[in-house]
Amino acid sequence: MQLEGFNAFCNNADQNGIIFYYNGSLSQNVIGTMGDALKQRLESQDAKGPISRKLFSSFVEMVQNALHYSPEAPDSKGEKLGTVAVGKRDGKYFIMCGNLVRKQYADRIRARLEPLRSMSLDEIKQAYRAQLKSDNNDDGISKGAGLGLLTVARDASEPIEYSLIDMPGHETELSFFNLKAII
Amino acid sequence: MNDIYIARTLESPEVDFRFSGNVLSLVGEAYPENAAHFFQPLLTGLAAYLKSADGRDIEFNFQLTYFNSASTKMLYSIFELLNDSACTKNRVRLNWFYDEEDDTILDFGHGVQDDFSALDFRPVTVDLGQIAA
Repeated sequence: MQLEGFNAFCNNADQNGIIFYYNGSLSQNVIGTMGDALKQRLESQDAKGPISRKLFSSFVEMVQNALHYSPEAPDSKGEKLGTVAVGKRDGKYFIMCGNLVRKQYADRIRARLEPLRSMSLDEIKQAYRAQLKSDNNDDGISKGAGLGLLTVARDASEPIEYSLIDMPGHETELSFFNLKAII
Repeated sequence: MNDIYIARTLESPEVDFRFSGNVLSLVGEAYPENAAHFFQPLLTGLAAYLKSADGRDIEFNFQLTYFNSASTKMLYSIFELLNDSACTKNRVRLNWFYDEEDDTILDFGHGVQDDFSALDFRPVTVDLGQIAA
């Protein structure tokens, strides 16, 4: 990338309200350090306490999901990769996280997320409490949405958004999974 | 029964389970890489303590400012052990520290109060900014 290109990249991020961006390898250390940096960034933006806490909560659920469930990136040394962007638009903060998923799980991810998109906050809170009291682990083959996704949906002020896109060159086995929450 | 003490880190809380004094505390944030791995030894220690404890006044100080979904499940297991004990042999007071402007923690506390009715639930307002710093 030329320096002019970098400048355009920064301007583009700025115009989209991005205040925090990361793209790279994910590990618990990276998540902890990034979480700390995000908190400070939000503090410098004067984000209100509850908003800041909900953003941080969504951040942790999203990136830990990516760390635990994404396959190792092809042509890497066994790395888990993730992309995170936090920004503010029309007075509301948003967070997006992108990571690879095995294509065979795409339908399951859709089946978990679609119902959450049409539920009211009360329904989400009820589903959260039901899931909390159930003995099912949410990393298995449970039918309901896992506690992590319910937590993101609970913290969001609008229905969560997602996309699943085939990874070029790996169309048969891998997809990009992008998740967005507006707080 | 040995007391359990674990120092706080960025992603795991300070654990001070002083079984000898019947005072148990969790302070900080909880989002370890593997919540089951972190909490399982605490659950084992707590279960052994509760098995031998009889007629005690147990105090549990809950001062977590953030816990991820995987830790939440484990916390429910802790409350379940305490609640079972409070139904039979011991009295358990759950001091629930929360920041007044943090509705998430208090909401969650009310859920705990509903689900574990044998615990003596005591909300305590505090400026958790001091603990979170």
